[in-house]
Amino acid sequence: MSTEMLAPPAPGGGIALTRVVMLAMRELRSGLRGFYIFIACVALGVMVITGVGALSDALRGGFERQGEAILGGDVTFGRMHVRAAGREREWLAAQGRMSETATLRAMARRADGEEQALVEIKAVDEHYPLAGEVRVGGAASLEQALRSGAGAVADPILLERLRLKTGDPMMIGEAEVMVRAAITSVPDAIADRLTYGPRVFVSLETLEKTGLVQPGTLVRWRYALKLPDGAGEDPAALEAFRERAKAALAEAGFTIADRRDPSPQVSRTLERLRQFLTFLGLTALLVGGVGVANAVATFIDRRRKVIATMKSLGATSRIVLAVFLVQVLAMTAVGVLAGLGLGLAVPAVLNVLYGDVLPIRAEITVSAASLVTGAAYGILVALLFTLWPLGRAELVSASVLFRDEVAPERVRPRALIVGLTLAVAAALIVFAVAMSDSKRIALYFCLGLIVVFAIFSALGTALTWAARKVKRPRVPELALAIGNIGAPGGLTRSVVLSLGAGLSLLVAVALADAALVAELTSRIPLQSPDYFVLDIPKADYPGIASLVSREAPGARLEDAPMLRGRLVKLNGTNVEEVKAPPEAQWVLAGDRGLTYAEDVPAGSKVVAGEWWPEDYAGEPLVSFESELAGKLGLKIGDTVTVNVLGRNLTARITNLREVKWETLALNFVMVFSPGTLKSAPYNLLATISLPKETTLETEARLARVLGKTYTSITVIRVKDAIDAFKVVFTKVMIAVRAAGSVTLLAGALVLAGALATAQRRRILEAVILKTLGATRRRILAAHLAEYLMLAATTAIVAVILGSLAAWIAVARVMEIEFVFSWRPVVEALALAVGCVALFGGIGTWAVLRARPVPYLRSE
Amino acid sequence: MAQPIIQLKDVRLTLSSRAGPVDILRGISLEVGRGEAIAVVGPSGSGKTSLLMVVAGLERATSGEVRVAGRDLSALDEDALALVRGAEIGIVFQSFHLVPTMTALENVALPLELAGHKSASAVAREHLKEVGLGHRLDHFPAQLSGGEQQRVALARALAPRPKLILADEPTGNLDGKTGRQVVDLMLGLQRRREATLLLVTHEERLAADCERTIRMADGQIVSDQQAAAA
Repeated sequence: MSTEMLAPPAPGGGIALTRVVMLAMRELRSGLRGFYIFIACVALGVMVITGVGALSDALRGGFERQGEAILGGDVTFGRMHVRAAGREREWLAAQGRMSETATLRAMARRADGEEQALVEIKAVDEHYPLAGEVRVGGAASLEQALRSGAGAVADPILLERLRLKTGDPMMIGEAEVMVRAAITSVPDAIADRLTYGPRVFVSLETLEKTGLVQPGTLVRWRYALKLPDGAGEDPAALEAFRERAKAALAEAGFTIADRRDPSPQVSRTLERLRQFLTFLGLTALLVGGVGVANAVATFIDRRRKVIATMKSLGATSRIVLAVFLVQVLAMTAVGVLAGLGLGLAVPAVLNVLYGDVLPIRAEITVSAASLVTGAAYGILVALLFTLWPLGRAELVSASVLFRDEVAPERVRPRALIVGLTLAVAAALIVFAVAMSDSKRIALYFCLGLIVVFAIFSALGTALTWAARKVKRPRVPELALAIGNIGAPGGLTRSVVLSLGAGLSLLVAVALADAALVAELTSRIPLQSPDYFVLDIPKADYPGIASLVSREAPGARLEDAPMLRGRLVKLNGTNVEEVKAPPEAQWVLAGDRGLTYAEDVPAGSKVVAGEWWPEDYAGEPLVSFESELAGKLGLKIGDTVTVNVLGRNLTARITNLREVKWETLALNFVMVFSPGTLKSAPYNLLATISLPKETTLETEARLARVLGKTYTSITVIRVKDAIDAFKVVFTKVMIAVRAAGSVTLLAGALVLAGALATAQRRRILEAVILKTLGATRRRILAAHLAEYLMLAATTAIVAVILGSLAAWIAVARVMEIEFVFSWRPVVEALALAVGCVALFGGIGTWAVLRARPVPYLRSE
Repeated sequence: MAQPIIQLKDVRLTLSSRAGPVDILRGISLEVGRGEAIAVVGPSGSGKTSLLMVVAGLERATSGEVRVAGRDLSALDEDALALVRGAEIGIVFQSFHLVPTMTALENVALPLELAGHKSASAVAREHLKEVGLGHRLDHFPAQLSGGEQQRVALARALAPRPKLILADEPTGNLDGKTGRQVVDLMLGLQRRREATLLLVTHEERLAADCERTIRMADGQIVSDQQAAAA
């Protein structure tokens, strides 16, 4: 006997950790059998979370490394309406190499005026681009194409739409330009705003000839700088430069971006999407947690005699717990590592499959934060679902060796384990909330998940209870099915919980998607005007109005003065220092449309304060949209400062308005009192609502005549704009649905695991039935009845819960009318039934094929 | 003698294993008459249980002829065999093999329900009373002792009034006294019903209660003895 064996035990009746690990590893000699589902469930959830993180890292990495090219320089200064001149221009030009560009929406027409299209004009100087390269078709360079006469290069789609080819003339504003080449690639495409039309490049000189740029025209001037001495590559130097710029151009109203984050809006959108998809991954992980719990409970059940033997040989409860906890942690580590590995492969796989669809070239780089997030969620969820069964393991009595319990009693683990489980759940919630920008939404999401899990857990228990209480049907197949549903240790609870949670999420996502698409495609176009007309010079408005009533009798024209400006201060505090909730950040981020009005604009109503009197001529006043005001902490009497036309203008909030944005009527976050902007050079923005009976021909003629007669105005068909948005929206929803489907996959894994666990019992049962005279058809019918009852009950509740969640998201959070649609529900149900049929079918097939004898000889 | 209920002619059963084919039954020929109680004894691995499984149609003979109640089992498919068992054969196992999710009453009613019996529940109740479990009708198997479970299994095997009762070591999981009670009950019921009993056991004392004892060794019948008349 070694001296080690005689050594006294460690204090507290425990043994050294190394010994615990050794015991655990010995226990694992039987292999990973029974743990495959455990590992798969952990791996799947971790894969989604890590994959989403890694993809976001890759896109962000691409953003940072290609920042200079995306931005077109080291730093850019952008501003609406006002071109830099005088001291400003001198200061900018003195900072390094400078390139000036102007972007605006306009109409491009065939020289014969027969076709026209909304385009995004980008007028550039000879230094553009300072970084990267604009590739154009043919041998010509951008420079050659634009500088030889009034040249233009355009997106191929525009040439197709206007039936033009290289060398053809095209009208922009009042100028005739020559199409010299088609654009192949543009480095700084994402740094520009969301574009609704194809791009056309012209020189700044050509832009002047078009006559489009007038005081008040919605044109964005951008100045890209390449800093000297490589200062752009040094973050500290970039930061110092930005500070200098802010001081030197304090009131210029420029939006400054640098190569570290070339498009803060795109970064923000990516980050928001990453957080949302991480939540879906977490849901998948939690659904998979049910499979984890089942696997551990089954494992512990099979090890009861081993545990009893250990106890009879002197192992304390703590040692038993430690030994099995180490095994579970080892399996968790395998699952987490597999999930991390698979997750890291996601960007590379997507890059290969969909590289050309992604907004930028993804650089395969992974941040420690993404890895830690995936691993932390994996470990926390595994612990959440394993502590309880482990807690029951340590309570297994040594007496199990002497009496063979057929159905073990349910035992509640000791208080410490219950406390630990609750602590892990709390840690999970805190982690999820801490990792999210919008704490409130994260908290609601967690609470929602708890409710869904609680409901399906209760449903599982209720079904089991009801199956035991219900009067036994005379049809044996049905009796068997109901008996199985009520069986202790049966499939019911885990199937209802995992499948139900997965299905609810899928139904919610599908319904919300359908409701939003319905809103976009049918409701918004019904309520909204048909055309937006931008950049109407004040003098042209009466002519346009008469043209519209002549060409389309009965059309309704509404107008509002429109300038664009940027919010720079709230109550004297710079907006950069204002902590706004994520859903209100957009108001502070870019240019906003500004208007003034004598009366409350249509489609909005004053909910607090008073509208100014008709002939008001006092200090500048502003009416603010009430919901956003609430989010920004603004109230009546507060001040907002906007930079418009390169000047800061401060106005006092005198009332708050509730706005029905979804009508797309002319409406603004900020409406100023008439005296404030009246003297500024502004253009008008108008909407045209056509009578219902207007034919497509009339509509097309109106747009054509308007464009031909008034060359500076831009006519946007609302339906086209909605379609453009729908394309982006559909892409995002594909990602959301893919991540949501993973949850159902996790549910299917749990189902497969539960079926595998119950397989031996089911085979034995089928064999007994065969010995009693049951045919295979009858056994199959019994299984079918059981799966059908389980799937149907779960699906009904999942559809109700999913619909409720979708309704809350759509009607309450987004405040859009919720429209229930059957198609996504039926699709989700078909998927669920398919899962059950597939896995159940495989299980039943194995049951029916099993040779009876080995099962009858001994258990 | 009327037509025998069991007729085996040169029955062989060979199973494949990793070490190669294993001959389990090696040319068994046997006839069992109606109403007989016959014990099959022999050491472990001698092929007793396999013989019983072949007679039950749960194992297909590799060669030879197996006729039960006048039917050639080798000509029937799996479902037809199940129907034969439902109508003609009652089986009692060493491990009871009750359906754990059903009460004692439901377990006994099950074969009757499968056969479409109108008053399955009432018949099952009667049979449970007959084996002394009238007070345990609504208990699940896990709530019953081993002896009680085997009595439920016996009631289940006898409820459809089979012509043939097959019992595989029915006392193997029971203590001596309980085992004795179960066998006495089984023999009593068999005689009252005039059914045939094929009892596989390794206990000589139980075999002695049967009218005929077959001894097996190494997959073959080595002796076939009628008990001395009482």
